[in-house]
Amino acid sequence: MSRSVWKGPFVDAYVLKKAEAAREGGRHDVIKIWSRRSTILPQFVGLTFGVYNGKKHVPVSVTEDMIGQKFGEYSPTRTYYGHAADKKAKRK
Amino acid sequence: MSELICVGAIAGGFGVMGEVRLKSFCAVPEDIAAYAPLSNEDGTRTFAVRITRPISGGFAARLGGITTKEQADALKGLRLYALRDRLPSLPDDEYYHADLIGLQVVDTGGAVLGEVIAVQNHGAGDLLEIRRGAGQETVLLPFTLAAVPTVDLTAGRIVADPPEGLFER
Repeated sequence: MSRSVWKGPFVDAYVLKKAEAAREGGRHDVIKIWSRRSTILPQFVGLTFGVYNGKKHVPVSVTEDMIGQKFGEYSPTRTYYGHAADKKAKRK
Repeated sequence: MSELICVGAIAGGFGVMGEVRLKSFCAVPEDIAAYAPLSNEDGTRTFAVRITRPISGGFAARLGGITTKEQADALKGLRLYALRDRLPSLPDDEYYHADLIGLQVVDTGGAVLGEVIAVQNHGAGDLLEIRRGAGQETVLLPFTLAAVPTVDLTAGRIVADPPEGLFER
């Protein structure tokens, strides 16, 4: 069953505080968080969070299409490298 | 650049007509045939590749010079490599993982930060995994223009301007 709408999206309070401080300070450092369960809110767009995966903080640059997802979805807890082959990376 | 890049492997023979079961590691699996001729790791054997049909877990394919089931079975486990020159050229700011892996990472002051060991993407943009030193924890650096202002493939190095706190424990 999905979460009741009247409650609003869940976000750990410390994540909101850290994000607000980063936005006000205009800093571009990685905001380290451990809350994988928090929902990504519109005010997080443009910030970079370091989302803990149990071992290290994985940088997650928040974009508009990530709103409504949870932080943990972008920080996998299992390692899989695969083969480089002809895979490409784009610098944005 | 003419080094070899692993693009696939042979999982064994397929059927009794000398076809092989081919696993592709490419982003678009069918592209493996476009990089032919493929060779083994030391380049001593080369194969023309023709994909005959998709099968579970890969492709059925015919390799040049392989005509019997026994020959096909003998190739089980063989990794197939393509010449780097066979890969199509890319637009600006787009790089093959194979080109980025192994590059030295220096900061804007010239101090060595480590070496790229992998490129990852978990849905929030590409990340360079950097090993700082032997036995040390790796660091993930966002592959963005802000964090990685310069990629110099000929010099074999990347200039990084990492966000504060990324390289601190």
